[in-house]
Amino acid sequence: MTHPHRTISDRGVRARFLLAAAVWTVLVAAVLVAVPLAFAGRLPDPLAGHWGPSGRPDRSMPSSALALAALVWVVVVGVCLVGMARVRGEIRRAARTWYAAGLGWLGGFLIGTQAVTVAANLDRDDWTRAASLNWQFAAVVAGAFALGALGWLAGRLGPDDAPREEGPPGPLIDLDPRKRPVWVSTATAPWAVALGVVAFAVALSFAVAALWGLVPAGWATALPLALAGVIGLAVSSVSVRIASEGLTMAFGPLRWPSRTVGLDRIERAWMERRSPLQVGGWGIRGLPGMATIMIRGGECLVVRYTSGGQLAISVDDAETGAALLNALAARKAA
Amino acid sequence: MLLTLDLNDPRPLHEQVSAAIKRAITTGDVTPGDRLPPARDLAAALGVNANTVLRSLRELRDEGLLEFRRGRGVSVLRRPDGRAALRTRVRDLLDEAAQYGVGPEDVLAIVKELMEESP
Repeated sequence: MTHPHRTISDRGVRARFLLAAAVWTVLVAAVLVAVPLAFAGRLPDPLAGHWGPSGRPDRSMPSSALALAALVWVVVVGVCLVGMARVRGEIRRAARTWYAAGLGWLGGFLIGTQAVTVAANLDRDDWTRAASLNWQFAAVVAGAFALGALGWLAGRLGPDDAPREEGPPGPLIDLDPRKRPVWVSTATAPWAVALGVVAFAVALSFAVAALWGLVPAGWATALPLALAGVIGLAVSSVSVRIASEGLTMAFGPLRWPSRTVGLDRIERAWMERRSPLQVGGWGIRGLPGMATIMIRGGECLVVRYTSGGQLAISVDDAETGAALLNALAARKAA
Repeated sequence: MLLTLDLNDPRPLHEQVSAAIKRAITTGDVTPGDRLPPARDLAAALGVNANTVLRSLRELRDEGLLEFRRGRGVSVLRRPDGRAALRTRVRDLLDEAAQYGVGPEDVLAIVKELMEESP
C-alpha cells in the first residue's frame, strides 16, 4: 500500500515526537535521581512516607525508596517508548495525544510526590516529626493534571492522522442476481473476556457481601466493577456481517448491542492493518467519524461513509468483506 | 467467510447451508486450519435458525470436512475430495443451465460433445 500524499514532514512529526518524549523521560528521571541525592545529608532515615487523613505522618519508609520512583518511571516510560518506536509508519495523532498526556501526568505526579515528601522531611531528625501535609497532595494532583493537559496539547501538534488517503480499490466480487451473498467474520480478544468475567465475579461477591452486611460499602465497589465488566465484555468480541441490507456490527458475547449501516451510506471499503498502539489502545478509539473499533491488532475493515466519516473494525478476512461491500454498494448505487 | 445462498434452491434449508459452506471450502475461501465463525453468527447472517446451521456443521463434520474442538469452535479439516468438489460445481452448473432453459439431458449432451472433440 502506498501513501502518495505522505510528505517528509509527516516523518518529521514522528521523529520530533519520539525525541521530545525521550528528552522528557531523561529529564524527569534525572530530577527523580538528583533530588534525593542532593538532600541525602539533610533527610532522616527512615523518612516519613505516608500521611494519614489528619495530615500527620503515620508510616515510614527507607530513604532508598525515593529512588524507586525513578525506577518505576524508567520502566513504564521505556516500555511505552519502545512500543511506539516499533510502530512502523506514522504515529496517529490520537496515540500521540494520549501518550503525551500520560507522560506529562505521570512525570508531574512522581516529581510532585517526591518534592512534597522531601520538603516535609527536610532537616527533621526523625520521621515522626515530619511536617504535616494536607493541601499539598491536592496541589500535586492538580499539578500532575496540568502537566498532563500540556502534554495533551503538545501531542496534538503536527498534522492529523496521515492515512486519510483513499484506500486501494480492492477486487470486486461478481454478484449473481439469483444468489444472496453474505460475508460474516468475527474477532475475539480472549483476555478481555477473562477480565470482564473476573470483574463480574468480584462485583457479584461484593454485592452478596454487601447484602449480608459483611462489607460496609460493598455497593460502592460492586457497581463500578460491574460496569467495568460490562464494558470489558462488550469490546471483547465483535461479529461483522455484510449482506444486501448493509454492514452489521454486533458486540460482546451476547451480540448486543448491534448496529447496521445501510449500503446507501457507504462510499467504499478496504482492508488496512492497524495496531492498538497506532490508534491509542483497545476498545472504541478516536472520535465519531474517525473511530476504530479495536478488538485486536492486525487486519481491519475500513469503511468510508458518503458523509465523509470513516470507521475501522478489527476483524479477520477483512479483504473479502471489503470486496463484497464495494460490490454491493456499487450495485445499489447503479 | 463469504457464503452464497441460492434464492431459488428447492432443497431443504440445512442442505443449502451445507452446500454454501462446502462451496466456501471448495473455492478456497476458507482453507484447512481456518476457524469458522460461531454457528449463531452464521445463522444470523444466513437468516436461518442456529439449529439448522448446527445440523449442517455436523453433517460436514461427519463427511470429514470440519473438525469440532471444545473451546476452539469449528475449523476446516480438509478440502472435499475431487469427486465431492465436482458434485458441488456440477450442481451449480445444472442450476445455471436451468436458468437458460437447458435441461440436465442437454448438459450431458454438451459434455459428450466436448469429450468427442478432445480425444
